[in-house]
Amino acid sequence: MDRYTLWQKIGIYAGIGIFLAFILLPFFEMFMTSLKPLNHIFRSPYQFWSDDFSFDAYTRMWERVPNLGRYIWNSIFIATAVTLIAMIVIVPAAYAYARLEFPFKTQSLGLFLSVNMFAGAVLLIPLYKLMRTLGLLNTYWAMIIPGVAFLIPTGIWLLRGYLEKIPKEMEEAAYMDGASRLYTLRRVILPLAGPGLVVVATTVFITAYAQQYLFAITFNSDGDLYPLPVGLLQFIGYQNVEWNMMMAAALTGITPVLVVFLFLQRYLVAGLTAGAVKE
Amino acid sequence: MTLAAQGTAAPERMRRKALSDRAFAWALIAPAILFIAVIVAWPLIETIRLSFTNASLAGEEYVGLANYQKLFSGGKFGEIIVRTFVWMFFSVSLKLILGLIGASLLMAVVPGQALFRILIMPPWVIPIAMGCLGWLWLFNGDFGIISGVAQAIGITDGPFAFLAYRNSAFWSAIVTDAWVGTPMVTLFFLAAMQGVSRDLYEAAWVDGAGRWYRFRRITIPQIMPVIVSMALMSAIWTFNSFEIIWILTQGGPRGGTTTMIIDTYKVAIANLQFGEGAARAVIIVIMLALFSLLYLWVLGRVNRKYGVK
Amino acid sequence: MTTFNRLALATVLMGATALPALSQEIQYIMCGDERQAERDSVAAFEAANPGIKVNLEFLPWGTCSEKAMQMAAAGDPPGLAYIGSRFLKQLSKADQILPIELTPEQEAAYQPGILSTVEDGGKRWGFPHAFSNKAMFVNCDLFEQAGLECKVPADWTEMKAAATAIKEKTGIAGIGIAGKDFDNTMHMFLDFMYSNGGTVVDTVTGEIKFDDVPARETLQLYADLVPVMAEGATALERGNLQALFEDGKIGMYVTGPWGMGQHAAKNFKVGPIPRGPSGTSGSILITDSIAVFKGSGVEAEAMKLAAHLTSGASQYALDSEWGLPPIQKYEEQGITDVYYAKPEWKLFLDTTPTGRPEPMVYNFASLQAVFTNMIQGVILGEITDINAAVTEAAEGIKAIQ
Repeated sequence: MDRYTLWQKIGIYAGIGIFLAFILLPFFEMFMTSLKPLNHIFRSPYQFWSDDFSFDAYTRMWERVPNLGRYIWNSIFIATAVTLIAMIVIVPAAYAYARLEFPFKTQSLGLFLSVNMFAGAVLLIPLYKLMRTLGLLNTYWAMIIPGVAFLIPTGIWLLRGYLEKIPKEMEEAAYMDGASRLYTLRRVILPLAGPGLVVVATTVFITAYAQQYLFAITFNSDGDLYPLPVGLLQFIGYQNVEWNMMMAAALTGITPVLVVFLFLQRYLVAGLTAGAVKE
Repeated sequence: MTLAAQGTAAPERMRRKALSDRAFAWALIAPAILFIAVIVAWPLIETIRLSFTNASLAGEEYVGLANYQKLFSGGKFGEIIVRTFVWMFFSVSLKLILGLIGASLLMAVVPGQALFRILIMPPWVIPIAMGCLGWLWLFNGDFGIISGVAQAIGITDGPFAFLAYRNSAFWSAIVTDAWVGTPMVTLFFLAAMQGVSRDLYEAAWVDGAGRWYRFRRITIPQIMPVIVSMALMSAIWTFNSFEIIWILTQGGPRGGTTTMIIDTYKVAIANLQFGEGAARAVIIVIMLALFSLLYLWVLGRVNRKYGVK
Repeated sequence: MTTFNRLALATVLMGATALPALSQEIQYIMCGDERQAERDSVAAFEAANPGIKVNLEFLPWGTCSEKAMQMAAAGDPPGLAYIGSRFLKQLSKADQILPIELTPEQEAAYQPGILSTVEDGGKRWGFPHAFSNKAMFVNCDLFEQAGLECKVPADWTEMKAAATAIKEKTGIAGIGIAGKDFDNTMHMFLDFMYSNGGTVVDTVTGEIKFDDVPARETLQLYADLVPVMAEGATALERGNLQALFEDGKIGMYVTGPWGMGQHAAKNFKVGPIPRGPSGTSGSILITDSIAVFKGSGVEAEAMKLAAHLTSGASQYALDSEWGLPPIQKYEEQGITDVYYAKPEWKLFLDTTPTGRPEPMVYNFASLQAVFTNMIQGVILGEITDINAAVTEAAEGIKAIQ
């Protein structure tokens, strides 16, 4: 294949630079805010550095909100639990939609998708009543279960595409050898779908990690169980918001996930390659 | 004799296989259905029921179609519907365009590629509210970088507050929404592009096709199913995207950024008029369902055209 | 499902009533950070009332009151909750909260005007627990740069003249006005309108008095100030204004007593809100209250707890910690060496009796929307006919009532 000329290389780097600038600009702003003293968060003209900038907020935030580490841990725990449970439900269903013929197949898939159309906010009060009836208020489950329910449709939709791409012959062969359906699914399909599973699980995990706010504030009032997005609200005081510490905490809070992604990255992109989303 | 026996046995086996397929399929889907039925379906039905009542903090009474009639009698709701679709169209388009550009750039085999791929992830991972605060400050007239740079290079005379005017606030919200959605779209496009068979490119290259031609004639058609699929998911999410607008403008100024979901939230949660709010929610679902049906129909045609199953 | 709900609920209720009433639990939702003073006060109450357990929950600002109201809506009300007094009418009309009874001593303990913020239909619907009023802060450096003597303008004419002078001489905005879709856009407008003798709703008759001279003059004031106010007012709320003032980007603005601490490093002066042509200087008086919910099963105990929390040392600790004007007359309760003895507090103490509450309407969010729409219309130049705009807003308010 043709190689890049120097100018093409410069063009690619410039393009990536502009693209990343757009993606990272708000993070730059958040980072700058985390360095500023509270009474000078907002200063004009804009300063890129000043003598009173410091990393103080990154140490003081742990004292200001002593539970901060716990909130980050809660977020990871809730997102992990959501991912595990969701995958257990998603995998068989996605397999059925990818491989089997059954009545109401298209219609039921459409119904699943329509769950995405109901915004969680509108369902809050009925959901609250339900959580109370089930006795789940103020437990981790109150945040995990609705999280799972709203991610199942997306997960099925995405995973189905990968499973469809696995050659049918492998499965047929196992089937002909007298293996049961379940055995085939477990021993033939799942290993082949590995990368696809990683992609879908990552998508579920990240979504569950970043969007924990609504269910958490509504179904839980136990301060020990807050996920990070709710915990960050503790930097809001009666008169002042400690923006510098809030931003420091938010940036610190996403670091573990980015680190995990760093390791998954290679695998993830490979996984996407194998399947990609279809239809 | 043996032939005849085989002749009847084969359909019989097929039939039994189909039957077991069916039962097996339902067994596999059952957990998902159960989950959705318990957690989502009941609140959903409850919402539909509430939409026929005047439910508020004070209790509820059946009012028939009154909530729906009230909605469509004022001119405002029509305006909000139109605005919501405009918002959805531009935001989704922007995400797809940025996703395509981003994915193409990240496909380029250059040093630093792995790092760049990680650096596009943060907007997806950060709690949406926090990312929006970053944008809130960027759009600030006096203290934001954008306005500051614009003044420094002489585009504007004085500070310009992006969120203060109907149009600029609307576009600012679109940019922010696109920002939140771009990483996921980029990543899925990137993967789809990697899935395109190299043979196709090499054949085209041998024929002397340039990069742009190859992108247009090979990449785009090959990843079209993914583009179309991502577009639908993004459209649904964007339609229901709430936090971004709420944090930036709360639907203002003068309703300039009030989409259907913002309107619904204001009525149902801020005003505690659950009945009227529920009617709005039901209309959102009907609109999205119609939109999705239309979309899937188009999708079917696209797939046929590009020879995808 | 409903039947199932009822059955489940009935079982729970039966289980609860079947048990001997050994211990009663009161759920109390408080806003803000964990406060030891509040915990101590609750502990003292539990010690004095054996058999009652208080489940005190501190929820973050911006989620606490909403949560209490949603719980009530779902039929699962807390025993008591900290809530903006503006929501009391909606809750009382919905039969979700109980009216409170104050002993003559409790009544006498509150500063004048405070109890008016919780009154509706001849009853009181919450124990006022935190309160603030407003004053005008001016940036002396900017006043002097504009060749003006640094003093808080006494009336609107002086205020407009000062703002214009600052804008013309220094190029910096003369005044900061809030215009975003936020509560404080309406609050600031009412600060000026109350300083011009205006009324939104008559507290006794419930009549809408908005469509009158004071409101029109106030809206006209906003229109007149547009050229000299901070750019993009429709995107500004109090946090932005505070930042602008601190950074020397506005000549003056209206805020609460916390401004004294926030701007401690600045050369500023603070004084009463300038009076309009039709009135005398006043201020909006905003309170948050402890509301006692109906249907928690522990109403009487919750009532006792609320009274305990809003009395004496417990209430004093909150006021001083949050840096608010004193909500009660603490000297008369034997508290000495009060935090507000410092001279700078005098202005806010003097302003308290002139303060007037937020309008008591059934649906506060809708009221706010009407005001915001009117104010933004003027700032954006979309409204030119001031009188018609005020009349339209008055119609809007009527529709809410």
